[in-house]
Amino acid sequence: MNPILTLFLKDIAHFRRDRTSLLLTFVVPAVLIYIFGNVFGVNRESTGPVGIPLAVVNQAEGAKSADAIIAALQKEKTFRLITTTMDANGADVPLTEDKVRSLFRENRIRFALIFPPDTESDDTFGLKVKYLNNPRNDIETQTVNGILQKTIFMAAPSVLMDALRKRATQAIGAAGTESFYRSIARSVGQSFNTDPEKVFDEMMRGDILSPSSSSADTPDSAAVPSDFFDRMIKIESEQVSGKQVKNAAATRSVGGWAVMFMLFSVSGAATSLFEEKKAGLFRRILAAPVKRSHILWSKYLFCTALGMVQLAALFVAGKLLFRIDVTSNLANLILICLAASSACTAFGMLLASIARSPAAASGIATFLILTMSALGGAWFPISLMPDFIQSLSKLTIVYWAMEGFLQVLWANCTFRDLLPYLGVLAGIAAVINAISVWRFNRGEMFD
Amino acid sequence: MLVIDNVTKSYGSLTALQGVSLELKAGEFFGLLGPNGAGKSTLMALIAGLRRPDSGGIRLDGQALTPDNLGSRNKLGFVPQTIALYEDLTAEENLRIFGRLYGLQGTLLRERIDQALVTAHLQDRRRHYVKTFSGGMQRRLNIVAALLHRPKLLLCDEPTVGVDPQSRNAIFEFLQMLNSEGLAVIYSTHYMEEASKLCSRIAIIDHGRMLAIGTLPQLMTRLPFRESLRIEGANLTRDSLAPLLSYGELTSDADAHVLTLHANTRLSDVFREAEAARLPTSSFQLTRPDLEDLFLHLTGKSLRDT
Ligand SMILES: Nc1ncnc2c1ncn2[C@@H]1O[C@H](COP(=O)(O)OP(=O)(O)OP(=O)(O)O)[C@@H](O)[C@H]1O
Ligand SMILES: [Mg+2]
Repeated sequence: MNPILTLFLKDIAHFRRDRTSLLLTFVVPAVLIYIFGNVFGVNRESTGPVGIPLAVVNQAEGAKSADAIIAALQKEKTFRLITTTMDANGADVPLTEDKVRSLFRENRIRFALIFPPDTESDDTFGLKVKYLNNPRNDIETQTVNGILQKTIFMAAPSVLMDALRKRATQAIGAAGTESFYRSIARSVGQSFNTDPEKVFDEMMRGDILSPSSSSADTPDSAAVPSDFFDRMIKIESEQVSGKQVKNAAATRSVGGWAVMFMLFSVSGAATSLFEEKKAGLFRRILAAPVKRSHILWSKYLFCTALGMVQLAALFVAGKLLFRIDVTSNLANLILICLAASSACTAFGMLLASIARSPAAASGIATFLILTMSALGGAWFPISLMPDFIQSLSKLTIVYWAMEGFLQVLWANCTFRDLLPYLGVLAGIAAVINAISVWRFNRGEMFD
Repeated sequence: MLVIDNVTKSYGSLTALQGVSLELKAGEFFGLLGPNGAGKSTLMALIAGLRRPDSGGIRLDGQALTPDNLGSRNKLGFVPQTIALYEDLTAEENLRIFGRLYGLQGTLLRERIDQALVTAHLQDRRRHYVKTFSGGMQRRLNIVAALLHRPKLLLCDEPTVGVDPQSRNAIFEFLQMLNSEGLAVIYSTHYMEEASKLCSRIAIIDHGRMLAIGTLPQLMTRLPFRESLRIEGANLTRDSLAPLLSYGELTSDADAHVLTLHANTRLSDVFREAEAARLPTSSFQLTRPDLEDLFLHLTGKSLRDT
């Protein structure tokens, strides 16, 4: 039997016996992916956290905008609205600002909205809201801020129009208001190529003055932005890629996680060369008709195979846990897995060739793998990072492997589209391998 | 069969072997005797083709033994000084791997594995992990693993370190049996008992130099002193011992006289003469020089203490 095959089979026999390696290779990554998956909500149809307590105090009697926003927030499942509190007798009473502040001190809530009595005032345009927050947790705070903004802006246009109308009427009187609307209608008619008379009619009929309920996806009919606004700010959105993807969040992140775990297990397997060296096995093996390159190739094959099996296990887990579609572009998925695991193996072999001890190897491995994963975009989108870091990203295996996985799973690409990614990964592997071979020849591994 | 010609090997500034030459005939049992750091393992590694000599050459049946030449590897078996086995695999699996590396397969491989396990007295433990074996059991497996492919020359680098006397004797018998079937052995050790018991020829090596080489009797002639008789007795004077002076040189101190015998003296002659002179022969103590003495003489230090 070929020595490479013999040594490869030896590694497999060895691996099968090693419960710790089995656990670290298959179970731990699956469990971690499951946990992280749930944290980031990738298992739900729509993403994001739910039920964050948000205290709301409404001091603005009869302000339409406050009611509209509160109603909209009530429908937003990110928040659990707290509007009342229990008094000494156990009866529900509306929250007050003082009470809210004491809840903050007790850390019972981290976010509150207060609509002051002058939420809608006649002499300012727009509305006034107090937002209290305790940004203990950065991610949570950003998420809450974003969703609050979205909700308020979606509920607000009618409010803004009301304020606008009030001020106009105040400033220029009823007659002037009409001519003001006419002038708006005229310019709208010109800009949007419609009949200004029709626009004016619509405006006067109340499409704008008392908003209609024409749009279906807004939470409350009283707070619906008018048709007019829909037409005036027309944003056409089209998702050009990933439309077929069932679980977007999971599909986006699975590649990065998979590559990171694979780097860990594969470099662990490659540095098992140290154990064999320490046990004096290379002396015995090399006294047989076996070359160093046979040993290295067998280890390379084994690690790559290990990486493939681990990826397969992770994708099966991804399919079962998160309904990631792995089968519809299977041939390309296998190709990118192969390219990724051989590049990761090259990395592991390089570690074994440059480190002087297994401890050094695992230290360097941990540092480099975490750095590469962060830089390469396995943890957060690299578009969030500064330009020079983004260019560093392109030097990492993680980046190219992740992008390759996205090409296959997200963009459902063809072999041709995937080719550049396969090429870069193969190139990285070749360069790293050349360095390792050079290092192995000069180093102490086979001494 | 094996020719080692003026081989030198250094590790950096340290010269591990210097101008070592040696010729080995087929079927010989050759001992390399030397203290720690003498260069025994280095010489073994050169013969096994694990390292390349800095100068000089090693040939087996005319073929150079170098790291690149895999051609004659099948003629060599190598028992490394440290136990080189996969601890997390079974005895059988280990043998299968090493057998396959030498190109064995199928029925032949199975037969050889069975024989090796029987030889190592491990047939009951064939499916046990090597890490559960005692040190002696691992040593035995370590040796038979080098013999699966039936080499012509076995390199045994201190194969009995840490083995109890019983297992050690079993290993000796096993090696002697193989040797009687034609296997040549190079056996390194720092135990002179092992060397003198097993080896037909012995080289004494220290600091990378071959100090002496030959059969045991040949080596002993290198010593300036030979067998000696220690004669105790308060009433014995040099004069009363005069009849023995023709057989050797007499030295005396307060406690005893020592007669160092001439090279070609026969002990029986000495004793006949002594009895005729009514000397108390029953209190004569015969001292034979051994390898230890030779080593001390050659290096100025004792083999054991190094
Ligand atoms: N890989 C190496 N690098 C540097 N020096 C080495 C190396 N291997 C051996 N040496 C040195 O070469 C000399 C000979 O070592 P060697 O292992 O051949 O001795 P040995 O006779 O086998 O000793 P022992 O009885 O302790 O096994 C020693 O001084 C040792 O320190
Ligand atoms: Mg040694």
